[in-house]
Amino acid sequence: MPQLLPFYFVNQLSFAVLVLGTLVYVFGTYVLPVFVQLFVTRMYVTKL
Amino acid sequence: MVLFSSPLEQFEVTSFLNVNLTLLGLNFALTNLGLYALLVLMLSISVHVLAANDRRLVPSRWSVGLESAYASLHGMVKEQVGSSNERYLPFIYALFFFVILANLAGNVPYSFTISTSAVLSIGLSFTIFFAVTVLGLHKHGLHFFAFFVPAGTPLAMVPLLVLIELISYLARAFSLGVRLFANMVAGHTLLKILSGMLWPILTSGLLMFVVALIPMSIFLALVGLEVAVSVIQAYVFVVLTCVYLRDAIDLH
Repeated sequence: MPQLLPFYFVNQLSFAVLVLGTLVYVFGTYVLPVFVQLFVTRMYVTKL
Repeated sequence: MVLFSSPLEQFEVTSFLNVNLTLLGLNFALTNLGLYALLVLMLSISVHVLAANDRRLVPSRWSVGLESAYASLHGMVKEQVGSSNERYLPFIYALFFFVILANLAGNVPYSFTISTSAVLSIGLSFTIFFAVTVLGLHKHGLHFFAFFVPAGTPLAMVPLLVLIELISYLARAFSLGVRLFANMVAGHTLLKILSGMLWPILTSGLLMFVVALIPMSIFLALVGLEVAVSVIQAYVFVVLTCVYLRDAIDLH
């Protein structure tokens, strides 16, 4: 299988870790807090 | 003459650009996997930028989808990992979007699926396994090893059960990645083989074209199945990561 040829193994893992790490940072810092604010605001608007 | 290329050829990692840093003895290569990994990163961020909806309270069509995804993943983390452990949500959320977009981007014809790389999938699962084990050891100290002895085990059975539990625990590191990798490779190989057989039949005359419409419809159904598998595998990967996290945080 071509997947098992030992070329670019470290390269592949580096890209995976880089992309996943960036996603965790971007989502954790910019995206998810906005969702929380939005849901809390909706709760205030409808329940209170 | 019809040339049949290997159905496994699509999984080859090839280099587009090599940058040799002789000073450090390092070689930086932009491979097709690297390119698609960056594409997945851009897709994930683009989808969230598109669906940002200017923080309006009334959702748009785009933001409804993402809000549902957020609500589902939030519910999953609360249910599986625990209400007091919502700090793991960003990781679970990012992991879900990484895997699902990697799988779905690979369904585009002539593209490359990064989750069909054994090293990437199993490397990801090994990393998660290692992190979860370190988390368990950090949280519980040596008591973490009580995980390998189920409650109420007779003393005589302990050595055998510890061995079985240890093997099943270590197998998690491998099984999580292999599940994703094998499903994606099997699906893509099957589609490649079937399309390689269908095309010569479709192009060999009007009668054969009409006859080949039946296998063609089955092939189209399999394409739909492959899209479903892409979504299901991303979901399963994330659910199992949550389960492993819970096991490390709350020992039995």
